[in-house]
Amino acid sequence: MTQRFAGVPDVLAHADLDDSSAELTVDSTLYSLESVYGASFTFIDRCFVFLDRPAEGQLRVTLAAKKSATQDELRGFVGEFANELLACAWREKITAENRGAIEAVTMQALAGAMGPPSLDELEDFDFSEEPFEDPLGIAMSWEEKYGKDKAKRKQGEGPEAAAPEPAEEEA
Amino acid sequence: MNLLEIGADGLDTGKPAFFRFRPLGDRVLLTNLEGRFVVLDDADFGRFARGEVEAGTPLFEQLSRENFLRESFDEAKAAAMIRARRRFLDAGPNLHVLVVTLRCNTTCVYCHASRANMDEVETDMTPEIAERAIDLILQTTSDYVTIEFQGGEPLVNFEVVKHAIEYALSKNASAGKQLEFTMVSNFALLDEEKLDYLLEHRVQLCTSIDGPADLHDSVRKLPRADGSAHGHAVRWTRRINERYRELGLEETLYHVEALVTVTRELLHRERELVDTYTELGCRALFLRPLDPFGFADKTQHLIEYPREDYLAFYRRTVDYIIERNKQGVEILERYAAIFLTKILNGEDPNFLDVRQPAGAGIGQLAYSYDGQIFTCDEGRMLDAMGDSSFRLGDVHMSSYRDLVGHETVRAVVLAGQLDGHPDCVHCAYNPYCGIPPVHSHKSQGSIWGRKRESSLCHVHKGILDYLFEKLATADQETLEVLQRWTTSRSRDHFLHRVTVGAV
Repeated sequence: MTQRFAGVPDVLAHADLDDSSAELTVDSTLYSLESVYGASFTFIDRCFVFLDRPAEGQLRVTLAAKKSATQDELRGFVGEFANELLACAWREKITAENRGAIEAVTMQALAGAMGPPSLDELEDFDFSEEPFEDPLGIAMSWEEKYGKDKAKRKQGEGPEAAAPEPAEEEA
Repeated sequence: MNLLEIGADGLDTGKPAFFRFRPLGDRVLLTNLEGRFVVLDDADFGRFARGEVEAGTPLFEQLSRENFLRESFDEAKAAAMIRARRRFLDAGPNLHVLVVTLRCNTTCVYCHASRANMDEVETDMTPEIAERAIDLILQTTSDYVTIEFQGGEPLVNFEVVKHAIEYALSKNASAGKQLEFTMVSNFALLDEEKLDYLLEHRVQLCTSIDGPADLHDSVRKLPRADGSAHGHAVRWTRRINERYRELGLEETLYHVEALVTVTRELLHRERELVDTYTELGCRALFLRPLDPFGFADKTQHLIEYPREDYLAFYRRTVDYIIERNKQGVEILERYAAIFLTKILNGEDPNFLDVRQPAGAGIGQLAYSYDGQIFTCDEGRMLDAMGDSSFRLGDVHMSSYRDLVGHETVRAVVLAGQLDGHPDCVHCAYNPYCGIPPVHSHKSQGSIWGRKRESSLCHVHKGILDYLFEKLATADQETLEVLQRWTTSRSRDHFLHRVTVGAV
């Protein structure tokens, strides 16, 4: 049985009491996908959360309560989701703007707490290790991945020789 | 004065330096990046915002002195104060909570620690785990180390407490830390022999007093045969203070520290609470609201209260404490002292739960009875509730750098900085505040939280409103009392100082 929530526009959210679930529609031109993920994640202890894209420019969030929920409880979920979504979206902008200061404090805090590595720790450190593993070549440039000198790389010439083959060729 | 009344066209963004503001009754509080403040009336705030403050006027001098004007902005002064406020970033965890057992002889209705029954001996820390924990503790980059024995009730596993103290002292001969031990106990299992040991090893003793006897005993219950929990706490507090005096220690500095957890029933008994503390010789009262950890999560329908009610209680209680100070009784409220030190002295007293970033992982570590290590005691409490989000490792497998460099520590350090939070980034109280990410995680489902809806944010704003109202309007005698609360004297007797190499 679909019901609307008092004070919430019907096009944005409604409840299904039989399923103890609520559906919200999010305008994806207002909110980033990261913000929607962030807000959704805070509900996983209480709800099963489903995301889909019913139309261009829209994201649909379904919050299905893990335990039977009343209309008031579902309205609470919807309201809390909306507030969390706004917080996530705004936080995304603020952290981008203040990134320098936040990173400086974080670096100082961690460096202050960790101190320099001991000789034993340095001895165990693998300096030959690549900065990170990239088996699918995601971090490679287009030229590196599909460029003209691919043939050369296949023959083992040049510094890119160890790069993995593009996924399409592995298939 | 509302900025809207001035209008965007009327604002002069060229003359004021960076500031945040907040209405304060019929005045306006302004704070700047480094945490200096001024309180202006409407007319002066209007002049400031419109850039109409004339050089040479008292208002210009005041704003210039406190670094609110671009033309006289002193960068070096601002940088020095910001450095002073963040000095704690230079060193690692100084507080190390050792949970030597979960067993407890008392049942508290709000028990944040998730106590175990007295027969659950499997929740005792072993001497070997205590040793491994101390090996890690002494690797901290902090010169100052406090090992806090907690439980459950730590006296239940007193042999391991003793073992830990002696092992730490022996290992510290080479580590060379300024080492301090504290114990949080209900004192019901204390006896003269244990007290002799604790005094001999200079262990600072703390207890809980949750109000007058009837209230204390209703929230902190001992088995009937063991008597009144309040009776034990009071009797031993008096006895320990007496022993301090016998040792020639100055009474005003050396006395049992007591903590109160504010429950619903206490909200209308503020005078009895303060009188209970002053009669016991306590010099500080920390009006801590309930936390959402442990049993308090389940019993909140019995003991919780709206934070508005708490703040009204806070105001009445601190008003009464100030009144008692004016009558010659020296007692302070700890929350106020923490904030006032930041506001008036331009430094941070390093209280780990009200700073940014919070102390989790970089200022504090908690070691559970079974050797698991957490960012903080609250993280350990959450683990007892089935949520291991704040677990960093264990005493057998983890290195010190594994722990403080853990990805969870990085996350809570990032989340603990208010310059990344909506609302906080514009809040006038930003320079003085701090919300532990573990509290946001428990109460709102993410380490970031939504501060506008956070009960802790509500409490901090309410307390800071009260303090700034006092600073703006109080009489000279009250201001002197508040200034006195920011004076911190070191309790050197409790410090175990070691010069490396000199055993």
